[in-house]
Amino acid sequence: METETLLLNMGPVHPSTHGVLRFKLRMDGEIIRDCQVVVGYLHRGTEKLGEMKTYLQFVPYTDRLDYIAAMPNNYSYVKAVEELAGIEVPLRAEYIRVLVMELNRIVNHLVFMGSLLLDLGASTMIMYGFREREKALQLYESLCGARMTFNYIRPGGVREDLPDGFIPKLREFIKDMEKRIPDYEDLINGNEIFLMRMKNIGVINAEEAINSGMTGPSLRGSGVDYDIRKVEPYSIYPDLDFKACMRSECDSLARYLVRVDEMRESLHILEQIADTMPEGKFINQRYGMAPTTGAPTAVMSFFPRIFTPRAGEVYSRIEAPKGELGFYVASDGTTKPYRVKIRSPSFCNLVALPKMVAGLKIPDLIAAFGTIDVVLGDVDR
Amino acid sequence: MWTGDKMITNPNAYDLIVAILNAIGVYNIILGFFQDLGMEYILRVIIVLVIIAVLLVFVLLTVMFLSWLERKMFAVVQSRYGPMVTGPRGLFQPIADGIKLLGKEDIIPAKADRWIFTLAPFVVFVSVLLVFIPLPFGRSLIVSDLKVGLLYIIAISAVTPISILLAGWASNNKYSLMGAIRAVAQDISYTIPLAITAIAVVVFVGSLSTVDIVNAQSGYWFGFIPKWFIFLQPLGFILFLIACIAEMGRIPFDFQESEQELVAGFFTEYSGMKFAMFFLAEYAHLFAVSGIIVTIFLGGWTGPALPFIPFELTSLIYFMIKTYAVIFFAMWLRDTVPRVRIDQLLNLGWKIMIPLALLNLLLAAFVVTAGVI
Amino acid sequence: MNPAEELKNALPNSVLSVGIQTNKPLAVIKKEDMLKVAAKVRDMGFDNLSVITGVDCVDRIEVIYNFFSYKKKQNLALKVVLDRSSPEIDSVVSIWKVADWLERETYDLVGIKFNGHPDLMRILLPEGWIGYPLRKDYDMKTEQFVTIGEDGEDIVSTDGSNLLRGQ
Repeated sequence: METETLLLNMGPVHPSTHGVLRFKLRMDGEIIRDCQVVVGYLHRGTEKLGEMKTYLQFVPYTDRLDYIAAMPNNYSYVKAVEELAGIEVPLRAEYIRVLVMELNRIVNHLVFMGSLLLDLGASTMIMYGFREREKALQLYESLCGARMTFNYIRPGGVREDLPDGFIPKLREFIKDMEKRIPDYEDLINGNEIFLMRMKNIGVINAEEAINSGMTGPSLRGSGVDYDIRKVEPYSIYPDLDFKACMRSECDSLARYLVRVDEMRESLHILEQIADTMPEGKFINQRYGMAPTTGAPTAVMSFFPRIFTPRAGEVYSRIEAPKGELGFYVASDGTTKPYRVKIRSPSFCNLVALPKMVAGLKIPDLIAAFGTIDVVLGDVDR
Repeated sequence: MWTGDKMITNPNAYDLIVAILNAIGVYNIILGFFQDLGMEYILRVIIVLVIIAVLLVFVLLTVMFLSWLERKMFAVVQSRYGPMVTGPRGLFQPIADGIKLLGKEDIIPAKADRWIFTLAPFVVFVSVLLVFIPLPFGRSLIVSDLKVGLLYIIAISAVTPISILLAGWASNNKYSLMGAIRAVAQDISYTIPLAITAIAVVVFVGSLSTVDIVNAQSGYWFGFIPKWFIFLQPLGFILFLIACIAEMGRIPFDFQESEQELVAGFFTEYSGMKFAMFFLAEYAHLFAVSGIIVTIFLGGWTGPALPFIPFELTSLIYFMIKTYAVIFFAMWLRDTVPRVRIDQLLNLGWKIMIPLALLNLLLAAFVVTAGVI
Repeated sequence: MNPAEELKNALPNSVLSVGIQTNKPLAVIKKEDMLKVAAKVRDMGFDNLSVITGVDCVDRIEVIYNFFSYKKKQNLALKVVLDRSSPEIDSVVSIWKVADWLERETYDLVGIKFNGHPDLMRILLPEGWIGYPLRKDYDMKTEQFVTIGEDGEDIVSTDGSNLLRGQ
């Protein structure tokens, strides 16, 4: 029988494109013959904004990239600036930074689990995920007053010190999460339908994944033992005991399981930080902002809000929850960056998607897309 | 055993109303009044209209309650509250929703086929409503005890995919079309095991009448195990349950409207009252199919008679309890499991369910011919 | 010996100079030899192309490639200096697939043409957008309006006349 292919335009407004992404699909019945990803609907010109703001002013804009997990964005940019300007950071500040970033990794993966299961049609997990996420967000709120867009990490340290009773509350959260993760595994991992939908779907082997620029948990699901926290250790990660989670099945299920394991590792890291949090300054007093409360006003004058790194360029990257988040910052010796380039994990991970889903069906596209875990703010910048 | 020409029909709702009127002593007066006019048939029409009205009101109230129940259950499973503001514990939420839907603009897409687009939701709703006719809610509480009740139910259920196809095609939307095609593929592949497992029960009963099926399930084995077909046909029950959930199009088999893939499937383009019709049909269908499961496998309205209460009432209560148990199961399923893929569903239907259903039928035939039961 | 020097030894004619990009080795290469160098870089084990950055330096345009080797755990940055009036360079999509989108993005925002790219069109901005936003002389005063045409294509105008379509 003669049939013709159907051009299906999924998105930019569609329930499971996680924002404003658009797939141009050439369908043969239910089977995807060709998938083209169209992005750019959330482009806000962040890189151009970076050229027009001072180094400190640009920090809040980084929050808006990956708004599910904003702390690593803050940190990645600040790390680039610090490397460029040679700013030293007190040890306590580094501990706080890693604390908030690992907490954000858990938050990100909770949202990931929820939205993935929602994409597959099981709507309960997202509520469970959000319930636990809420506790983490309250921790953030007590820390910096914001729940999603923090503007917390500054060149030279962090904006404010930990509030009283933060560590006990953190321990409570850890204890709670340690009980919850097995719950989720009970709900999801043993579900035959879930396994049917995830196993051998969206397979991409290690070589192709690397070639397509995949990073982070998605890459580790393809059996590449690669975690920037391990291979290019930054901050206090060399002192911490954790392992890079990895699976070698290369399919959607592997990418999912890697993230569940990562949540456990992050909890382990948080525990260590809670045990060993050093005393000291939370910000290098030569650089950064004054604390809003509690600090002697005299030191205000020591804190330049505007500083000029030497002319030069840096590409600095960290392991964000979604993958390699890099900032290229070029300075021309003025108070504003000459050029800011954001290498966002979501953007590069999407390159591999058409390859992963060719020949599969629409529901598989949704599942595979869900396991890549993109945030459109991060893709379009 | 099938006798071929059973003359005594089982009592239905019409007879019940007549009996009630007789019991309070007004039936003969009214009948006399109409006989004097020479228009006896008018009384019959009135009684039938009353039955229809009661059925419609019942279905509407059930749909409202079910939509509330579903949201509430969903909320409890997800550790939320669910609707709380309108009425006691949000009980009037469905009414508010209904008013909202009434007030919505009724949009017909410019390139849609207007007539079919308008017709489709009504066809869906009517076809679902017709399923209620041979459904025994209790002893004598049945609109009409058709001799081919089971066949009728299966036949009417097969109208639903046609109306879904109408809706999907007329919308002139790719998502709608794909949803409709999925719905048809799914319904065809699941009506077959559904019918075969139902036939296995008919082999035992020897009648297609739903009331006969229920009557065959009254009594006990060894004095305590109720003679429900679920115990006689456990495999058949599981197959029938799966096929029914697929037929209803609920998670894990809700392909016709799988919202993460096809936005809303065949009713993507519908709004306002037309959407409400689909909504009504969906929940009415849920109740009807659960009722059918109860009738065929869970003993229908049978149960121990209570003293001083007419069995018509207790049987209704038994039926409701059982039906809501099945509905509860369907809702619970929706809250917990993800959706399977369309090809996996069709594989399950054709490669596993149909052979098993045939095996089940064979076993039933063996048991009956060997005279075990 | 760091990878940049290694590259210099292997291809002395293509590598103009070696330097450092704040703790990462950097090699400045000739733009004509881009593909040759890229093949060599791949053979040296740099299987991951992290990012492509285009920088408008007013008198010239620089393209910076950041590589990472999963096998050797090494970094390498390549810099190519392009003529600002007609910035063109060979595409490396054939070697690193991720370059597909990275080059499109660079083309979109900085206006560098990648010769040999299979599908070089704008990625973040709508097709037909006027100017390249990350150029230093980009006109930020003029508003640009985007709507979707009959066949789903993007229509850009500066006076907003396309917004009145259908009225």
